[in-house]
Amino acid sequence: MAYLSMGEAHRRITEYLNRFSDVVLNQDGSSLKQLLSVSSNSPLLLSLADALNLFHDYNRLLKQSDRFSQISEIVSPLFRSIQNFRLGNLLDSYNAFEKAANAFLQEFRNWESAWALEALYVIAYEIRVLAERADRELVSVGKTPEKLKGAGSFLMKVFGVLAGKGPKRVGALYVTCQLFKVYFKLGTVHLCRSVIRSIETARIFDFEEFPVRDKVTYMYYTGRLEVFNENFPSADQKLSYALTHCNPRREANIRMILKYLIPVKLSVGVLPKKWLLEKYNLIEYSNVIQALKRGDLRLLRHALQDHEDRFLRSGVYLVLEKLELQVYQRLVKKIYIIQKQKDPSKAHQIKLEVIVKALKWLEMDMDVDEVECIMSILIYKNLMKGYFAHKSKVVVLSKQDPFPKLNGKPVNS
Amino acid sequence: MERRQRRNPSSAFSSTSSSSSRFRSEKFSRNPPKNSNLQDDARHLKSRDWKSQRPEREVEKEQDSYNLPSIVGTCPFMCPAGERAQRERLRDLAVFERLNGNPGKTSPTLAVKKSTIATKHTQASDVRSLPVLEETLNYLLNLLDSMEHPFEVVHDFIFDRTRSIRQDLSMQNIINDQTIHMYEEMVKFHIISHHKLLTCSSRPNFSSVHYLNMEQLKKCLTSLYALYEENRDSNSIYENEPEFRSFHVLLHLGSNSQPLGESLSLWLSHVPSAILKSKEMFFARRLLRFFRMGNYKRFLCTTATEASCLQFYIIEPYINEVRALALSCVNSCGYIHHPYPIAHLSKLFMMKELDVEPFCNACGLKISTDEQGNKFLATKQKNFHYPKDVFPSYCLLGLEHFKR
Repeated sequence: MAYLSMGEAHRRITEYLNRFSDVVLNQDGSSLKQLLSVSSNSPLLLSLADALNLFHDYNRLLKQSDRFSQISEIVSPLFRSIQNFRLGNLLDSYNAFEKAANAFLQEFRNWESAWALEALYVIAYEIRVLAERADRELVSVGKTPEKLKGAGSFLMKVFGVLAGKGPKRVGALYVTCQLFKVYFKLGTVHLCRSVIRSIETARIFDFEEFPVRDKVTYMYYTGRLEVFNENFPSADQKLSYALTHCNPRREANIRMILKYLIPVKLSVGVLPKKWLLEKYNLIEYSNVIQALKRGDLRLLRHALQDHEDRFLRSGVYLVLEKLELQVYQRLVKKIYIIQKQKDPSKAHQIKLEVIVKALKWLEMDMDVDEVECIMSILIYKNLMKGYFAHKSKVVVLSKQDPFPKLNGKPVNS
Repeated sequence: MERRQRRNPSSAFSSTSSSSSRFRSEKFSRNPPKNSNLQDDARHLKSRDWKSQRPEREVEKEQDSYNLPSIVGTCPFMCPAGERAQRERLRDLAVFERLNGNPGKTSPTLAVKKSTIATKHTQASDVRSLPVLEETLNYLLNLLDSMEHPFEVVHDFIFDRTRSIRQDLSMQNIINDQTIHMYEEMVKFHIISHHKLLTCSSRPNFSSVHYLNMEQLKKCLTSLYALYEENRDSNSIYENEPEFRSFHVLLHLGSNSQPLGESLSLWLSHVPSAILKSKEMFFARRLLRFFRMGNYKRFLCTTATEASCLQFYIIEPYINEVRALALSCVNSCGYIHHPYPIAHLSKLFMMKELDVEPFCNACGLKISTDEQGNKFLATKQKNFHYPKDVFPSYCLLGLEHFKR
């Protein structure tokens, strides 16, 4: 660290205080937010942090002028937070920031217009990020992580402040998304329900009024919840919304949406093109898709095995497993097509033995009884039209449209 | 997807990695040494406000001591002396607690503390210490084999008294190997009850008893999983953990899934890899796959050949559901001119031949007989419905002998 004189440190702190005070006076939201982003390590805050670490008696400065009386409740703990962050004391930094955030929220309540909304967003973001880092520090010394949960409580408070009739309500979705991130990280995903209910049923909120970026994030997370619950039509709708409205330059975000949208689309019979997988580095799905195209059960099993951990962690494994029936359908369809080429008049009758043989060729050991079972399930769930003749061990397909397409609907349960 | 030229500087997403995103310390040293005295326990337990930190540990929510300080129990009896005296006076003694059948007299070897509501005023002398709790549990579980009383009575008693044990454990915030073992035994009790209660349909409200038992089973399992997590020492897993985790998966069988209020996919995403790859979990996951696909053949075969005893008890109620599905498929997709011989149905359902006809009848279908006296199911009958009762269960053929 370059040599910093006491005088210079004093100057930096006073300059920051003046700036903060002016910005609040002038209701300059976008300038204010730059003064609050503790974790950003911006040059401004870094230089301030060094000053604070040298000139410890900054609270005296705050008391010196009446100008700073309005902001001192916020700035005093904020300084502590910035100072500690610089020193790597993440727990202390968080605790101080929480105080500053609460003080800020108090003031925010009193400001009638929504001028400070962007600054509030920064507070909401920072409290989550600092909490995550504080928890990491707690864990590393063998203690219970609890700060992220606390940040969640604070965010609920913020939500409460924004959930009113005035212009501030348009910020509620951003805060909701921060809450989603907190709950997903903590694994307490069921807590999302109450915020979702507020957003979707409260009359004060009009979903279309919210900024696009927040709507995309919202749809992404609620879409993921639908995937967890295997509500495919709903998941499709939400994730597709997120995809179409997402900034195409945000490739990382698009990748995240696709990671969940692809299994959903596969479940309703829609296959993505290869270039999409390659462009967004989602090649873990490529064998799954190949298996669906080819009716290759062995390939599907292998694909699930190869990426088992990844699919389980992201929660799509069970969704992909369910695709097995569609793969069977494709296999039988292929046999049907081959038979049609040989003898069109007899194509619609498929001996179960033939299917057994095809499966053996795929290294799947199934006896006739099991094949009959699968065939009857395919018919039962409307993936095939026809019937099976038990005595002659034959599947007889309907002459018209024997393999109905899913048409955007998931397989019948 | 068309490309657009505008740049949007906002960041909509955080960088959630796909690896497990929960904080789990490898240095948690929460286990008191096995022979610790009470003072050591107290030191370990101080300032440990577990319940407010871990939302997923749902230990007896209605009696949760969220804000109660943890106590160190000192009661040396299965039932605190005060309660014993009071219940003698009030003649509030269960059959098992009565000395020589006297409803007004008990003894320290017979009385067991009832489940209760914890309050701020609970004294340490009313809370049983860990060794006493272990003894109490052993005593209670031995009653399971008692032939003197109908099972519902035994169940009721053990149900309540084990709940009290859990309350005493949670009040003291004990989280160690012995606790885990005790919870495992209590889960076992609930599973065995789950099985036995289904055959006692004598009481008119048996289904509510059954339901309540299921609730407790799920609660115990949830607490047990939290204990496994909190007690985990680096990468080790408990010996029974894979089997007990598999129960959660198996409880998701059935068309009314999500019995624990949380999606199974979400639950699986947090399970350690070593457990997911265990034989027991592998079995449960395969079974679930067969069920969801409707592969009734494999479902029944795999259950018969691979299920452990406890796993089977959980799967048991779904077996008839799967058989009914098989019957429905055969009935609706089978060729009308090829009626299905019941010998084949028996093989398909893995059911004794003489059970097939009553089962089909329970599903609204009729069995016909031909001139030679062979019985078969004519397909395309119109009145199929799922059987109204889960039972009788019609034994599953091919079940291996279980090791208890």
